[in-house]
Amino acid sequence: MRFQDAARDARAVVYAGIQADPLVARVAALLAEATTAERLLARAVMNGERTEAEPWRRIFPALFGERAGAGAGEELGRHAELLLAASLEVANRGEAARSQYRGAVVEELTARLLAGRAAPGAPVRRERRVLFDGVPAEIHPYDVTVESTSRPEVYDCKWGARGINADVLNQLDDARTHGADEEIDIRVALVVFDSRRSCELRLDRSTASREKTRLVALESLDELKGLRP
Amino acid sequence: MSAGRPRCASALLQRDTNAFPAPFGRSPKPPSQARRRYACFVSEAPESNLVTASDVVERAASAYRALADLAETVEDEWQYVNDLVDAYLPSVRALATENEGRPLSPAQAAAVDEAIAEVALISDPHKAIDWLSTFPHVVALALGGEVDSPAGVASKGVGSEPAGADAPEPDEDSPFRILRRGDR
Repeated sequence: MRFQDAARDARAVVYAGIQADPLVARVAALLAEATTAERLLARAVMNGERTEAEPWRRIFPALFGERAGAGAGEELGRHAELLLAASLEVANRGEAARSQYRGAVVEELTARLLAGRAAPGAPVRRERRVLFDGVPAEIHPYDVTVESTSRPEVYDCKWGARGINADVLNQLDDARTHGADEEIDIRVALVVFDSRRSCELRLDRSTASREKTRLVALESLDELKGLRP
Repeated sequence: MSAGRPRCASALLQRDTNAFPAPFGRSPKPPSQARRRYACFVSEAPESNLVTASDVVERAASAYRALADLAETVEDEWQYVNDLVDAYLPSVRALATENEGRPLSPAQAAAVDEAIAEVALISDPHKAIDWLSTFPHVVALALGGEVDSPAGVASKGVGSEPAGADAPEPDEDSPFRILRRGDR
């Protein structure tokens, strides 16, 4: 088994431009340090209709209200303001672009959280394919990989639970089973920037094999930096 | 004493009907009828304009239903939309039970109404699907409850695979709990 860069087709070239936008890195950096409530704020704003800050401050009084006025609350409030501003910038990119930005943000966030515990021999990479002996390569690359020789990991990232489908689940499970054929234990996971409950509802209707696929939902993103390779 | 304060001070004096023995053998008023003492004017009459959780939650439930009606127009996602509604609508309504009898702060009521106003602006059914999974959590956060598990069932943090031994407990990741804890 080995990892390989994805082919640079036209879609990949366009998407690479979005991935490289400093706004994506800024939003992801803020989300990496965010509370779950702040991540919920970011999801709402980047899905939202209104692109002014004030309505969002009213919708999330626990983040921007009186409790954010002093001490630890002051720091929370400041961070929430930064995240709100960055999320609004994504929302302001327009309906067509924002879905690509959101996807890129989730991938970047996943990579950053994983990088927090990455070992020297296990670099975190993006847009990589996994090649197995005698198995045709998948067309679509995995969003994020942790390329450890002893315990490699592959991640697919989704903005919403609605992005979970049989193709995604099968591709992840294929990586795991082909790895097992070569006696390599590959950890496979789906990272979804949506509530766990919505993801579970989506998964419950799927017949694709997913028993060994880990789900990392919005509430449990910090698990990514807590797990050891 | 400033011009704005005499009312408080006089109220303290005038309402102090139980401070001394009642003249002419009249017994003091029982506690239930006695006027209490406050540092400034406080009405003891029932507040008819207090917003209760049940009022706000019912408005949120109606907005959620309307959102689902819009989302249902995406035919391929009809099942998922209905799964979301079947799961979340009872949980949203249960937020009223969790807060039963407790008046909401103006900020809490405004938060839910503002969230309702936000989803009312949505005309794209695909975006409505996204909000079907977000709106209940936003309302729950505003009201200090949770919609992570079926109504009446404590959250247990279900997952397709158990979390690793060194991972945080999913139960600990309820947005409101995290917020109260203030960690990052």
